[in-house]
Amino acid sequence: MLIYFKHLSWRQIAFCCLVGMLASLRVHAQQDRLSQQISVTFDNLAFEEVIHVLEEQTGLSFSFNPNRIDLSQKLTYQATAKRVDEVLREISSLVDVSLEVVEGTVILKPRTNSPEIKKKLVTLSGYIFDAANGEALIGATVLLSPQLGVVTNAYGFYSITVEPGEYEISFSYLGFERKSMRLNLKQSDTHSVKLNSQSPLLEEIVVTASNTEDVAHVVSEGRTQLKPETVSEKPSLFGEADAVKSLEMIPGIKLHSDGSTFYYVRGGDRDQNLIMIDDAPVYNPNHLLGLFSTIIPEAVNDIQLYKGNMPAWLGGRLSSMMDVRTKKGNDQNFEASGGVGLLTTRLTVEGPLTKDKSSFLLSGRFSRVKWFFKALEDNITKFHFYDLTGKLNFSLNEKNKIYFSFYNGGDEYFAINNGVNWSNNAASFRWNHLINKRVFLNTTLAGGVYDYYLHTNFQNNAKWHSHLSNITLKTDFTYFHSPIQKIDFGLALTGYNFNPGNFSTTAFRAPAVSVRNSSELVLYGNHEVELGKRWLLNYGLRLSTWTNEGGSFEFVFDENRIPVDTLFFQKGDKYQQYARAEPRLSLTYKVNGNDVLTAGVSRNIQNIHLISNSISPFTSFEVWLPSSVNIRPQSALQFELGYYKNILEGLSFEVEGFFKRMRNQIDYEAHAETLLNPLFERELRFGKGVSYGAEFLLRKNTGKLQGLLGYTYSRAKRTFSEINEGRTFNAFYDRPHQVNIVANYNVNQRWTLGLNWTYYTGAPYSSPISFYLHNGLEVPVYGQKNNSRLPDYHRLDLSATLQLNKNSESRFQHDLTFSVYNAYARKNTLFINYNKTETADGTFKVPFNQLDGQRVTTQFYLFQFTPSFTYNFRWR
Amino acid sequence: MAMKKLLKLFLLIVLLCCGCEDRIDQPLSSVETGSIVVEAHFTNENKNQLVKLTKPYLEQNGSVVPVSGATVVVVEGADTFYPLVETPAGSGEYFTSNMIAVFGRVYTLVIRHQGGEFVAQARSVPVEPLSPLTYENAGNDQYRLMLNESGSESNYIEYELSWADTPVCNPGTNCLGLVTYYDLKNVDVQDLFKPDKKDFLFPVGTRVIRRKYSVAPEYRDFLRSVLSETEWRGGIFDIQRANASGNVSGALGFFAVSSVQIDTTFIVDKP
Repeated sequence: MLIYFKHLSWRQIAFCCLVGMLASLRVHAQQDRLSQQISVTFDNLAFEEVIHVLEEQTGLSFSFNPNRIDLSQKLTYQATAKRVDEVLREISSLVDVSLEVVEGTVILKPRTNSPEIKKKLVTLSGYIFDAANGEALIGATVLLSPQLGVVTNAYGFYSITVEPGEYEISFSYLGFERKSMRLNLKQSDTHSVKLNSQSPLLEEIVVTASNTEDVAHVVSEGRTQLKPETVSEKPSLFGEADAVKSLEMIPGIKLHSDGSTFYYVRGGDRDQNLIMIDDAPVYNPNHLLGLFSTIIPEAVNDIQLYKGNMPAWLGGRLSSMMDVRTKKGNDQNFEASGGVGLLTTRLTVEGPLTKDKSSFLLSGRFSRVKWFFKALEDNITKFHFYDLTGKLNFSLNEKNKIYFSFYNGGDEYFAINNGVNWSNNAASFRWNHLINKRVFLNTTLAGGVYDYYLHTNFQNNAKWHSHLSNITLKTDFTYFHSPIQKIDFGLALTGYNFNPGNFSTTAFRAPAVSVRNSSELVLYGNHEVELGKRWLLNYGLRLSTWTNEGGSFEFVFDENRIPVDTLFFQKGDKYQQYARAEPRLSLTYKVNGNDVLTAGVSRNIQNIHLISNSISPFTSFEVWLPSSVNIRPQSALQFELGYYKNILEGLSFEVEGFFKRMRNQIDYEAHAETLLNPLFERELRFGKGVSYGAEFLLRKNTGKLQGLLGYTYSRAKRTFSEINEGRTFNAFYDRPHQVNIVANYNVNQRWTLGLNWTYYTGAPYSSPISFYLHNGLEVPVYGQKNNSRLPDYHRLDLSATLQLNKNSESRFQHDLTFSVYNAYARKNTLFINYNKTETADGTFKVPFNQLDGQRVTTQFYLFQFTPSFTYNFRWR
Repeated sequence: MAMKKLLKLFLLIVLLCCGCEDRIDQPLSSVETGSIVVEAHFTNENKNQLVKLTKPYLEQNGSVVPVSGATVVVVEGADTFYPLVETPAGSGEYFTSNMIAVFGRVYTLVIRHQGGEFVAQARSVPVEPLSPLTYENAGNDQYRLMLNESGSESNYIEYELSWADTPVCNPGTNCLGLVTYYDLKNVDVQDLFKPDKKDFLFPVGTRVIRRKYSVAPEYRDFLRSVLSETEWRGGIFDIQRANASGNVSGALGFFAVSSVQIDTTFIVDKP
C-alpha cells in the first residue's frame, strides 16, 4: 500500500517512486482485476479495515491522505459476485470519497464538491417523535450547547450543521422527558429521536419555551402554541372541548360573546383570522350557529397561533393564523379514544399500517341533539352536526414522507319544507422530501370548500346558496444553513371561487349576483440568523399578486354610488390585478439566561373579505368577496415590542405591546342590504383602523398547581369618512380591559380540578340619544356610533375530573368530568333592546297593537349556570 | 309561514343556549340635539293633508313635543302652492286645505323654522288592490288577524280596529287597536328572524278599517331602516344600529306621498 503524506522526507519520496515504478509494471494485470467479480461483506467495519480487505481480495493498491480521509468511519456493505470497479464505486459513495484509478492504483480523495468538506462541516438531521405514538413533535428543541440550538419544523424535522467534533446533544420538548447523549460527529449523520412524555402532573397549559434559546425562536416568529390536551382539560360549555373558544385565555384575543366562535385578535375584525387544518383553510369553523367550533381536539397534534410578527411563509389575513396540525396516527400501536357528552359522541381510532412506516387516523364527532329538539318541535326532520377528520401517512424512505388528510363537517337543520345547512370540507396532500440533510422540501396540494344553504321551500327547490372554495399548490423549502442560520423560501399558487349568495327557485327568477374567480401567486423568503451570541434577526418578504378572472360581471359606480356601467368578463379574461409586498422583521435580544427582549414590524395583506353587517354572535348568511374593481386589498402594519422572563423554574412572565394600523377596512352604509342585492358593493364603506395595547401573562407551568394569569389593555378604533360624520369611533371589539385566570390543580393521581375566570370590559354599542314616532313606531335616534358599552362581561367555569382507573398503567383508561359553565350565573348581556313590551306571562315582545303597552329596555343573555358531564376513554 | 318554521328552528337552537330576556336598568346617553322631526304622509284622498312637526324626546315612551310657529308650504309640480296652517295653534300639526296628492306629480315640502329651512321631495306610485281581509278564530270568541304579503309592489296596510260598539267592551277601557303590516318585498336576515310579536286578539263585531298605502322606492328604503330599528330588532340576527335616513334635508323623519286603497270589514263569527 502506498500512502501519500503531505510532508515527506526525500527517502520516503524515493521509496514511493520506486514502488510506483514497480507498480506500473502491473497496470494490465490490475485493469483485469477491476473487471473481475468479487463477493464481500462488511458489517460496521472501519473504512481502514475495508481497504485492507479489498487490497487482499483484489490485489489492488490504494493511495490516500489519512488527514483528509476519515479511516475510522464505519461501513456496512454487502456485494455478491459484483465487478470490482462497481464495488469500489458503491463503497466510495457510502464514505463520501471519490476514487480514481491511475496506473493501477486506486487514489482516494475527499469529494471536492461537498460543502461539508469545503467548510469542514457536518450535518446532524432527523425527526423528533413522541415515543408513545410516533407523532411529530413540532417546535421541539435540539441543543448542542447552551448557545447552539434549533427547533423542529411543522413535521418534526430538524437539521443542524456544525464543525466535526464531539457534542453533548439534548433533545427536549415541553411535557416530554429531555433526552441527552454524547455524539462524535465526524461526518454528517441522521439521528431521529423518540421522546417519552412526562407525568401528566408536569403538562403545561399554554406551551411556551423554557429557556431563552427556545423563547427567542418562538417570539421571533410571533407564535403561541396551544396544546390539544389543554383544550380538552379546560372547563367548557356542555363539556365540549373547543379549540377556538380556548383562545380566550391568550392575551390579545377576544371572543365575540357567549355562544359564539367569532374571535378578534389585536383589534382586527373577525374575518382577519384564518384557521387552517393541515394547510387547508376552514372558512366557517362552527356548529349550531356558533355554539361549538369544528376542531376536535382528539384529532389534533398541535395548534400554533400567530398573532404578531408572522413569518413570511404565512399570510393572507391581517390579524392571525391558527395553524392546526392533525395527528398522523399512532405508528406503533392501535389506539382508540372517545367520549360521550351531553350533546355529542366522539370516537377516534388510529394505528399503524406498517409499524414505523405508515399509519392512519380517523376521528369523528356526531351530535345527539335531534331527540331533544324533536320533543319540542314536531316538524323537525333533520337536526344534527358532525365532524369527520382523517389522515394517512407513509414514510416511503428516509428522504420521503407523504401525508393525506381531510376534514369534513356540516350542520343540517331541516323542518318539513325548509331548513338550513352548511358544510366545510378541507383536504390536503403533502409530500416531505429531504433534498439533502440540510434542505427540507414540503410540497402541498390543499383545498377548502365552504357552502351555506337556506332552503325556503323544498317543493320548488327554492334556496339561497353562498359558496367559497380554493385550491392551493405550494412548495416550501427550508435550508438549514447552520445552527445560526435558517432560510425558508417558497411559492404558492391558489385559485378561488366565490358565490356571494344567489337565490334559485323553479317558481321565479331572482336577481343574479355575480360569481367571482380569482387567483393568487405568492413568493416568499425568510431568513433567521443569529448575530453573535445574543441577537436573533428574523426577516422576510412575501410578495403576492391577486388576479380576478372572468366569467363574471362587475358594476362601475359614480361618486354618488349610482351604477353607471357594467363590465362583463368572459371566462379566462384577467382583470383588476393587485400586487403587494409584505415585509416582516423581528429582532430578538437574549439579555441573559432568563430574559429576552424582542421588537418587530410586519405588514400583512388580505384579499378575501367577509361581507356582513351583522352584530349577532351567531353565524348567519355570510358572504365572502375578493379584492376586485370595487374592493381594494386590506392591509395592516403592526409594530410589536416584547419582554420575556423566566422568573423561576416553571414560572415565567411576559409582556407584549403592539400598535397596528389597518387600511381599506370595510364597514357598511346604514342598514345596508347585503343579501340578494347585486349592487351590494355600493353599500360598502372603506376606512382605516388603529389598535394598540399591552398584553401581560404570568404562567406557572410545573407542580400540582399550574395556570396562568393574563391581563390585556387594548384599544381598537376605526375611522370612516362616511360613517359617524367622519369621526373616529370604538370598534365593537374595543374592550380595553381583559383578565384571564386559568388554573389546574392535580389533587392526586385520580382527581384534577380546573378553574377558568374571564373578565372584559363591555363591548361598545350604539344606544339611542332620543326617540321620535313614525307611523306609531318609536324610532331611536343615535348620536356618536358605539357611544355606550354593554355591562362588563365576566364568567367563572369550574371542572373536576376523576380518573376512573386505579391503575394508571392500564391499557384502558377512562375518566369522568363534571363541569360548570358560568358557575355564579352571571347574566352577560348579548343585546340590549328598546322596542319590547312586557306580556302578562313576564316575557318581552314587540307589540302587535301599536296602541298597546309601554316599551321597556331589555337585555338578552345566554348560559347562566350550565352544568355538564363528559365521559372520556382511551384504549391502547 | 315557511319562514316562521325556519325561525322556530333557529329559536330552538337559541333555546338550547338557555337564552333569556329580562329588564335592564341601562341609562341612556340622552342628548338634546335641537333637531326637528317631520312626519308627513300625503295621499290621494281628498282631505286636509297633515304635516306633523315635533322634537325628539329623550326617554322611551316620552311625550311628544310639538314644533310650533313654523312656516310650512307644499308645492305641487312647479307652480301650485299649498300653504299649511297650524291647527290648533301650538299643536305642531299643520294642515293643507282640501287637496289630493296625485300619482305622477312631484311634491316639494318646504319648512322654515327658527332660521332653518328643511326641504323634501316625494312622489307616489300606484297602489295595488286590497286582498280580502283574513282572520282566524283564536278560541274563546276571540279573533286574530292573519297578515300576508299581497301584490307585487312594496306597500303597507294599516288596520284600524275598534270594538268600542260591541257588548264586550267594558266602559272605561280602550277598545281600539292599530296594526301596521309592512310588505316591502325585501330580503333581510333581520326581517326573516325578527322577534315574535305579542298576540293581539279582538271580539266578534270589531270594525276593521284597512288602508293600503303604496310605497315609493325612497319611502321603502326609509321604512326598511325604521323597521330595522324597531319591529325587526331584538331577533337573533340583528345588524348594526344606525339612524333611519329620511328625505328631509336637515331634519329627522320623512315626507311621503302614497296612493291609498281603503275598505271596511266587520269581524263575523266563524269556526
